[in-house]
Amino acid sequence: MAAAMAVRALRALPHIRIPALPASCSLHTTPPRLKTRAARVRVGKGDKAVTYEKAHPPHYIAHRKGWLSLHTGNLDGERCAAQRAVEDSFVRRFLHGTFPGCLADEAVLKRRSNSLLVCLLLLRRLPPSKLCFLLGYAETLLSHLYKCPVRIEAQTVPDAAVYKYL
Amino acid sequence: MFQFEKQAVAENMMSAEIYYQQVVTSSWGSLNTSDEISGIHTVSTRRRGRMSQLIRSHIPPRTERMAVDQDWSSVYPTAAAFKPASVPLPIRMGYPVKGGVPPPKEGNLELIKIPNFLHLTPPAIKKHCAALRDFCTEWPSALDGDEKCEQHFPVEIETVDYVSAGTSIRNPKARIVTLRVKLSNLNLDDHAKKKLIKLVGKRYCKDTDVLTIITDRCPLRRQNYDYGIHLLTVLYHESWKTEAWESEKTEEDMEEYIWENSSSQKNALDTLLQIKATENVSNVTKEELLASEVVRNYRNSVIALKNEGETESNMSQYKESVKKLLNIQALP
Repeated sequence: MAAAMAVRALRALPHIRIPALPASCSLHTTPPRLKTRAARVRVGKGDKAVTYEKAHPPHYIAHRKGWLSLHTGNLDGERCAAQRAVEDSFVRRFLHGTFPGCLADEAVLKRRSNSLLVCLLLLRRLPPSKLCFLLGYAETLLSHLYKCPVRIEAQTVPDAAVYKYL
Repeated sequence: MFQFEKQAVAENMMSAEIYYQQVVTSSWGSLNTSDEISGIHTVSTRRRGRMSQLIRSHIPPRTERMAVDQDWSSVYPTAAAFKPASVPLPIRMGYPVKGGVPPPKEGNLELIKIPNFLHLTPPAIKKHCAALRDFCTEWPSALDGDEKCEQHFPVEIETVDYVSAGTSIRNPKARIVTLRVKLSNLNLDDHAKKKLIKLVGKRYCKDTDVLTIITDRCPLRRQNYDYGIHLLTVLYHESWKTEAWESEKTEEDMEEYIWENSSSQKNALDTLLQIKATENVSNVTKEELLASEVVRNYRNSVIALKNEGETESNMSQYKESVKKLLNIQALP
């Protein structure tokens, strides 16, 4: 909303030109186009399969999308929201690296008092023995890192659920 | 920590079994296969250590083998994420595409994001209550009403414990202790009560006769509790003492209006004496006047006006008493 208004305001301004010096060329400029690009998959030819998560930009959170990370830090009068955010971002990067190419969708992190529950949707790319090992490895390492019980609940899907094609 | 059935997996790698079947039947129940095509069992092949040789076994989800009268509390014994293969409900969640329907439950992240209460069905809660009953004790039968509780335990202590999701259990708000006591339960005489009310100021509520002491100046709850009890003790003992300077209490310091030795008494008596003098009645003493009923009435009405404020009944009572005092019958 604010971005659209800024764009309209800037477009109302005349073109910004460098004053023409004698025996020099002038620059042709276009008005700056401010487009929010955060967490948006741009519309393409119609061959890009996107999941529900990717198809909805962030302004649909709390309207069509839920939250990927649930904890009490963001409630009124509660502390340590920043620490939870840092932990979340680390856990997501860690999982992205531990299960290369196997994550069908974003991990959902739920905190229940001290424990961290990681809900994963995995593709069936790895043999179960390797998958089991990686899940155990991730649980143990994260528990030791954060000094709290970490449990991973994994579900495997044949393919990532396609919501629409952009 | 996870329970890892090494034996089962080792067997799996050696023998020609279907991998995902083994995973489902292993003791690690958290790994679920979400299946759309049911009933297709591919032929097993020996693992050659390459991704392309992996078989994709399509085992029907557990929901198809669930009886209608199964014990649901064994499917969801504790709080867990939504598992589409374990919940036999045709749930759809999400905003539908144009001309379409909301996405199905398989691989649906929205259903996993939300907290669910599948582990808290009424039969499950009944089981919890039955298990907890062994740890509960009966309420003492002697305390069967609020008045009895107040009579035996006049001092109420209120503390708050805070639970939040995170690795830290500390919350600075947890050290605050609130102490509540009714002054009628304390052994105070008139002077002590007035002095105590003056000492505590805003902490006393006149409507409910409750003294509230909130302590948070110490870092620990126990210390704040001790300080609160100490304050109550000190207030009680100090209010019973009478200091030398308390005799200098002036009319402005009085909590309620006292008619004796006030300007109203003086004025009324002077007026009555003057009236008596003009009527040439024999000298009546002040005590006689004070004891007379008209003056008593006037005194009561003035006290009521000053202490309770101006109400219809108070004003009319004052009017009647003044009329009687000055003996004016004619005016309405």
